[in-house]
Amino acid sequence: MDTLNLEVVTPSGLIFDGKAVEVTLPGEEGEFGVLPHHASLTTLLKAGVVDIEKEDKSVESIVVNWGVVQVDEKKVVVLVDGAVAIRGESESDIAKALDAAKTLLSDVSDSNLAIASVSAKIESAAHKLV
Amino acid sequence: MANLKDIKRQIGSVSNTQKTTRAMKLVSTAKLRRAEELARRSRLFAEKTNAMIQDIAFQIECTKMGGIDNRCFTKIETPKMVDIIFVTADKGLCGGFNIQTLKAVNKMMKEFKEDKVKVRLRGIGKKGVEFYKYNEVELFDAVIDLSSAPDMGRAAEFITTSINDFKDGKTDAVYIIHNGYKNMITQELHVDRVLPVDTDSFDCSTNTNSSLLEIEAEDSEKMLDSLLTKYVEYNMYYALIDSVAAEHSARMQAMDAATNNAKEMVKTLNVKYNKARQEAITTELIEIISGVESMK
Repeated sequence: MDTLNLEVVTPSGLIFDGKAVEVTLPGEEGEFGVLPHHASLTTLLKAGVVDIEKEDKSVESIVVNWGVVQVDEKKVVVLVDGAVAIRGESESDIAKALDAAKTLLSDVSDSNLAIASVSAKIESAAHKLV
Repeated sequence: MANLKDIKRQIGSVSNTQKTTRAMKLVSTAKLRRAEELARRSRLFAEKTNAMIQDIAFQIECTKMGGIDNRCFTKIETPKMVDIIFVTADKGLCGGFNIQTLKAVNKMMKEFKEDKVKVRLRGIGKKGVEFYKYNEVELFDAVIDLSSAPDMGRAAEFITTSINDFKDGKTDAVYIIHNGYKNMITQELHVDRVLPVDTDSFDCSTNTNSSLLEIEAEDSEKMLDSLLTKYVEYNMYYALIDSVAAEHSARMQAMDAATNNAKEMVKTLNVKYNKARQEAITTELIEIISGVESMK
């Protein structure tokens, strides 16, 4: 199966580095998906969720508050300011990550609508994990 | 006999100090390792951001007549007002760490004054802030507890004022001065001009993939602006974590030297104590002997 290399970098380090089948990103002008061999592009991201479909079909969600993404045929580099990965071993871990993600979002976005739509998304992502 | 007791007390006091300095050294060693790791990990972000800014700047340079007209890229030959941000530690006992930074700040201020440039000082760290307060130098603003616990959010908040003032044309350059980490035993003083961004270091000729880059023209300026803001914010944050690492390495060294000095001092005091004790015994013996002699 074709894959692309994905790197998610924050000021405090690399939080995701690996292969992915598909990446969905919250672009400034709307959500878009990236598959392997996507044409080169660089664009801004707004606060939202980055969904990563990995080789084993599992989906990992990372909540970001700002970002720039650089896509070329083989790799995708996402530079973000603050990010929280929705993952964890137990239910309480996931709940903690959810809370952290929500505070991250409420800090950047002042529109309740945006927060609500993203919150709904991350909650559904979290439910899938449980 | 009082002399003996005095020496004994001195030995006790010095070895107590030695215990403290040794503990401080160990604490700094542990903290240094953590700070170093943090700095190392975050460097990746700088690399990626740098590369991306280069790409976009290059792109604009190629597609637009007259190149980039963004204020953040044009060096101003005769600045009228500059921002100097300095980072010092919140705590002392780390050798010349803070003094070195402050000396550099003073030197820079003097140079600017000679060129008739107004300087706005913004300070981070208790030691530096106190220094200028004592010398009655006015600080534009000061933050005290940020340098011991660097945080991206707060660093960004702090530098936003500088970025905005620069963009509005109130200031013509922004400098960050901090004492950075080089290796376990050396610190290196950094004076960085964060705004306007130094484009000379960008090497456009080696750019291979920029031709593939696809950005919508009106977007790129906005993106560059956004990226630049983050870049400057990140630089501030990096100065903070670099400074923490350097502070711990400086303290580790200072405390190591202090521990060794204390050890040396205990040694000399012990010799002194033994001599004094011997002297006391000799005196006593002479007294007894001369007493016996006189009774004969």
